[in-house]
Amino acid sequence: MKLEIGNFYVKDIVFGEQLSLKDGVLTINKEEALAFIREDDRITEAELYIAKPGDKIRMCPVKEAVEPRIRPDGRSIFPGYTGDLAKAGEGVTYALKNCSVLVAGRHWGGFQDGVIDMSGEGQKYTYFGQLNNIVLVADTNEEFERNEQQKKNDALRRAGHKLAEFIGACVKDLTPEDTEVYELGGMIRRDADTEKLPSVVYVMQPQSQMEEMGYNDLVYGWDMNHVVPTVMHPNEVLDGAMVSGSFMPVSSKWATYDFQNCPNIKALYREHGKTINFLGVIMSNLNVALEQKERSALFVAQIANSLGADGAVVAEEGYGNPDADFVGCIVALEDAGVKTVGITNECTGRDGQSQPLVTLDEKCDAIVSCGNVSQLIELPPMETVLGELQALARDGLSGGWEDDEILGPSVREDGSIIMENNSMFCGDQVCGWSPKTMKEF
Amino acid sequence: MKKAIVYVNQFFGQVGGEEQAGIKPQLHEGQIGPAMQFQKELDADVTHTIICGDNYMGSNTEEAVEEILGMLDGKEFDIFLAGPAFQAGRYTVACGTICKAVKEKFGVPVVTSMNSETPGVDMFKKNMYIMKGGNIASKMKQDVKAMARVANKLLNGQPVKSADEEGYFARGIRHQTWLEDGKPASERMVEMLLKKLNGEPFETELPIPKRDLVPIAPAVKELNEARIALVTTGGIVPVENPDRIQSASATRWGRYDISETDALEGGVYKTIHAGFDPAAADADPNVITPIDALKVLEKEGVYGSLHPYFYSTVGTGTTEAEAQRMAKEMVPYLEKDHVDAVIMVST
Repeated sequence: MKLEIGNFYVKDIVFGEQLSLKDGVLTINKEEALAFIREDDRITEAELYIAKPGDKIRMCPVKEAVEPRIRPDGRSIFPGYTGDLAKAGEGVTYALKNCSVLVAGRHWGGFQDGVIDMSGEGQKYTYFGQLNNIVLVADTNEEFERNEQQKKNDALRRAGHKLAEFIGACVKDLTPEDTEVYELGGMIRRDADTEKLPSVVYVMQPQSQMEEMGYNDLVYGWDMNHVVPTVMHPNEVLDGAMVSGSFMPVSSKWATYDFQNCPNIKALYREHGKTINFLGVIMSNLNVALEQKERSALFVAQIANSLGADGAVVAEEGYGNPDADFVGCIVALEDAGVKTVGITNECTGRDGQSQPLVTLDEKCDAIVSCGNVSQLIELPPMETVLGELQALARDGLSGGWEDDEILGPSVREDGSIIMENNSMFCGDQVCGWSPKTMKEF
Repeated sequence: MKKAIVYVNQFFGQVGGEEQAGIKPQLHEGQIGPAMQFQKELDADVTHTIICGDNYMGSNTEEAVEEILGMLDGKEFDIFLAGPAFQAGRYTVACGTICKAVKEKFGVPVVTSMNSETPGVDMFKKNMYIMKGGNIASKMKQDVKAMARVANKLLNGQPVKSADEEGYFARGIRHQTWLEDGKPASERMVEMLLKKLNGEPFETELPIPKRDLVPIAPAVKELNEARIALVTTGGIVPVENPDRIQSASATRWGRYDISETDALEGGVYKTIHAGFDPAAADADPNVITPIDALKVLEKEGVYGSLHPYFYSTVGTGTTEAEAQRMAKEMVPYLEKDHVDAVIMVST
């Protein structure tokens, strides 16, 4: 399978007459874009903003991030989700780089939503603080979940994905500045030199813990709670087969943007044919019941063995309960003779003294660690807030609180905030960006 | 100028060797021994040196600590330093003990230094910065420098970096930190993966503590002849706590005669364990140390006989090393009385 991602680099974003990309300047006709968003009659209120690195902007509650893309041949960029089912991972996709569509609630947030700062001390806590962002701030008529801590955020998230495709369309007939080529043929009968190298699978554990539909990550529009682990081509992940969900404290989440650009996959691709034989992806999941966790681990180890994998990398989109899936999967792989590296974040508490994962096993001897979900973060007021900052304190965001006898409220009257890293939007970047690690103090 | 006070033992305080190890604490103005070098290295004035005999601190700990805290009362100081203690076992425990007490009472930062092969490290590393020190006194200069480096950061309000970067014993605290080279997780993953695949040494970013599993003992074959003893980490003691067992992070234990007792009475025994609600155990200590049931079963002949003492300490916050030491101290009593099996009661 061969995927060509044609890149267009966005240096600036402005509102103007016609949706276009010229000399690195992305121009968006705001009214036209908003009219497109309002086609979903669940959207009751919508506004667009631009947030660039260095801007004195804080966003909350952020729900999703998507890279604007378009497929010149007319296939949808999220098959089975924003358009008809079609094969992902093959052919040509155009991408607007250094750029993302962010979706924030106009008022209401939830457990799974987060904060992004575009400047100051808070900027480094998320990947999106360094991107040129088109920010959709909107509200919906989804009354049934307005006061729920767990929100599906369906209308807003879909609006984000559709807007990313709507904006991406402006480069449909242009020539990309450069092209990344991702090509991997069948797992067997690769060239002799490659077959001499140790073979490696990348095991992804996307979020799928909700038994009720509408919250979990999707594969071609299908809920990840309803799958047993299966083999996927890495190109499918890079090309919109995976859509992020709306569950889990947000620093542990993988945005759709993270799937589209998955650095772990790209890093394994870079090594393919040089130091490893990159076989592909085993798409697993995260479950609540022990039997489901064990079943998935059995499947992953079996598939890895059946494919003849010498090594594996396991990454989890979550912490706490999912640590059991993560550790269980690594142990199953090691027991099956597959040398495994894990990537995760930790929950060592505000004082750093708690056990890092809910379960530990000595077989997990090679772990890349990306951060502490419960690290306390205090940030000064920000000139502009997109969304409603009070959501961090009021709506049960995983890293915020209404009041605390020692720390006071998460959101103070002057606009300064104190929160746990838990609510930094996709902050722990277990998908591979993370410049953070954990150290002993 | 900020102020520091330094603690040393009789030897480094230039009082004398082993024959002077029993001396009581002395407070001197100015700098004696290592304090002179601290004066050069620190961003603070070393105003006083405290000297105390290692044996006095070891055998009369409570008195020694109280006397020293009394000497410090009313003194202005911004940091308290003890040692370096090198590989001198008693001295390391003394440094840890006094640093912990000073930190708790005066709320000032404390720093000490010891060699990894000493008991003070495991006992106190969670409570303070203990620099990884040399094994002999010829390392004095470098150990003092290392202590001063961290002390100066504390004095100047600068962040103290990770244990590896600064050279102190990890305190059981894990925090996130930004890598200086900004190397993303994906690249760290590939490097670790290649090393693991190629059988080369690699360093995990999340070390999993080795589990020191004790195999479960085989079942007692002839229970009706077995001599049984009861040991608890639930902190049940006579109400006056005669062995002064600590309520958390215990280093002491006691054994109490139950040969003439049919059941432990509330008001006579209680728990001093700080890790759970004591109401039920204080009302009826047998809920943790079931002497009542064991006496009945003994009479009924279910097992042979009950060892005439029960053994008690507190499990909460207690280090594995301390727990092992205390167990090793208990075992000879059990062996001497030909105990066949022990019932270990937690909380």
